[in-house]
Amino acid sequence: MVEPAYTVTSDSETTGEEKSSTFPEIAIGIDIGTSQCSVAVWNGSQVELLKNTRNQKIMKSYVTFKDNIPSGGVSSQLSHEDEMLSGATIFNMKRLIGRVDTDPVVHACKNLPFLVQTLDIGVRPFIAALVNNMWRSTTPEEVLAIFLVELRAMAEAQLKRRIRNVVLTVPVSFSRFQLTRIERACAMAGLHVLRLMPEPTAVALLYGQQQQQTSHENMGSGTEKIALIFSMGAGYCDVAVTATAGGVSQIKALAGSTIGGEDLLQNMMHHLLPNSENLFKNHGVKEIKQMGLLRVATQDAIRQLSSQTIVQVDVDLGDGLKICKAVNREEFEEVNRKVFEKCESLIIQCLQDAKVEVEEVNDVIIVGGCSYIPRVKNLVTNVCKGKELYKGMNPLEAAVCGAAVEGAIASGVNDPFGNLDLLTIQATPLAIGIRADGNKFVPVIPRDTTMPARKELVFTTTHDNQTEALILVYEGEGEKAEENHLLGYFKIMGIPAAPKGVPEINVCMDIDAANVLRVLAGVVMPGSRQPAIPVMEVRMPTVDDGHGWCAEALNRTYGATLDLVTLQKKA
Amino acid sequence: MAPTLNLSAVGTPLRFSSSVDRSASFPQRNSVRAVAEEAVETRRPAASLYDVLRVERDASPTEIKSAYRSLAKLLHPDAAVRRSPETDGGGGYVDGDFIQLRNAYETLSDPSAKAIYDMTLAAPHGGRHRRFSTPLIRNHSSAFYTTRRWETDQCW
Repeated sequence: MVEPAYTVTSDSETTGEEKSSTFPEIAIGIDIGTSQCSVAVWNGSQVELLKNTRNQKIMKSYVTFKDNIPSGGVSSQLSHEDEMLSGATIFNMKRLIGRVDTDPVVHACKNLPFLVQTLDIGVRPFIAALVNNMWRSTTPEEVLAIFLVELRAMAEAQLKRRIRNVVLTVPVSFSRFQLTRIERACAMAGLHVLRLMPEPTAVALLYGQQQQQTSHENMGSGTEKIALIFSMGAGYCDVAVTATAGGVSQIKALAGSTIGGEDLLQNMMHHLLPNSENLFKNHGVKEIKQMGLLRVATQDAIRQLSSQTIVQVDVDLGDGLKICKAVNREEFEEVNRKVFEKCESLIIQCLQDAKVEVEEVNDVIIVGGCSYIPRVKNLVTNVCKGKELYKGMNPLEAAVCGAAVEGAIASGVNDPFGNLDLLTIQATPLAIGIRADGNKFVPVIPRDTTMPARKELVFTTTHDNQTEALILVYEGEGEKAEENHLLGYFKIMGIPAAPKGVPEINVCMDIDAANVLRVLAGVVMPGSRQPAIPVMEVRMPTVDDGHGWCAEALNRTYGATLDLVTLQKKA
Repeated sequence: MAPTLNLSAVGTPLRFSSSVDRSASFPQRNSVRAVAEEAVETRRPAASLYDVLRVERDASPTEIKSAYRSLAKLLHPDAAVRRSPETDGGGGYVDGDFIQLRNAYETLSDPSAKAIYDMTLAAPHGGRHRRFSTPLIRNHSSAFYTTRRWETDQCW
């Protein structure tokens, strides 16, 4: 039995530790991308990126299970790139975490060397690594926790103090369920999450700090600057529009999607070897090796196409299977046309949501690993009418620097020079609402609502003498309830018997500054001053696993018997 | 004019208060809204949205925006935690101050919402009925938000 590589810190130890400290413990910023990660901390006057024992600021996001003891990309180094693709190494954990097995993103991961199995019934996928010729099961949370333990050890060694509080960057499109999985992985690694910041919001904070330092103004009367922030990494594409003045950054709109460099890579692999899915279906040792060779060759080709217009792909997969093909940039762009079109539509949607014209944008910021792709630069520049790109940031470091600044601010650090006199007013990336009016998704908190937020809607019964109501809380953008993520559910009981449409059921949703969502529901009869039954308060999400299956079971069991409809406002 | 906002950043933990006592204290409160407000311990609002933002009635849009940013630095929970490190940054009470500020800003920065609000403020009230003016104004604002939630929520 392998000794666990991590332990959960005991509460008493934590409490004792915190009480004995005499100055604030500064939270570190962590940016775990789908393929790369980095750690940064505010060192008193500026942000400093931490390095591992091999002097690397940016490390690869993977955990390898060979030699029976798991180790991550922080401390260990694979002798060859091929070793990453031997089946013993799990990567892309950020893409897999918190997803059900009906998700297309999970299915796309089945082409990877490690094992991903799906039953397509709405439960979590089965994931395993090949260790000593045996498939050993694991979960994305466990893989992430192992990785975080190593990041923490690295940070503690370099800063020479205990690390407990962290600010992590997350994709905009992450659902609340996925956020809870991230927090769970951090807890397994002994870390407390102070904030989970959408990646473009972290970049906006860094941008706000730079503007503050440029203008040297500390009051709210400075000139307002509007920035468009486009972030595309290996796994996710995020867009934000932010208005910044006097150190205050207001996020006006957010948009995100699960597309990134990994999709470009998969499309190119399929283009070079059209029958690859069938060839690799068995996941045998030979197939895994072939997958790895094809992946490495395709990756190299894509990287070279960023600086060349044509590249030669030569790879021998064995068994008489060879690829010998010249690929030019236009070909690469055509194969991935849908990905680039999706990126473009995200930018346009974000500008529309923010009610900002392209001409009003002062700065266009591109970050993330895919920002080096010429087509990506071009599409952002084209949408923004040829405006020049902002040059004040390193695309690979901007998000983690912003997270480190947020860590310092959230830790209560005061900087005498005013470098931390900043505020980022965040917005909700997704709408949150309940199922009502038949099978519709009725948003209570719309998308891009400023956080903290508190909104309420009034509903009523659909049946005469209905005494119970089922509140199903969803998150997403679809018009029908099941198109969205189910966050949780609870039942209101004891509604006074009355004809349908008479009771007033008030549903209030509250998101605090730490992004904790609470749903409150109460029943008031018309003309009465007091709630008819005790108000219910439920912290969301309550669904812990198998939320796809759970939604289906709820619908099958209850149907429309406990439904609600929106109460029409009386004049 | 003396500031009407309580600038204390110390937040009270979220608790459900006695609905009977609260109802007795504010007999005019709309009963539906009372449910949520009791649950989340909302503070009594200032007399006017202009007072929340601390601007004059004839303030320009730039002044309103500037006031919002300055007050956000004081009232937003992320900023408040810097001045009171011991406070739980996620406390509902601290959130409430900023939510109130944000709601005032959204109304006053939208020209049509501002015009409607100004009309309700301008409605004549005799001294004898002054105590009813606040609930009426709040009801109007509430009705407005309900009918135009999407647009007002996204203004800046």
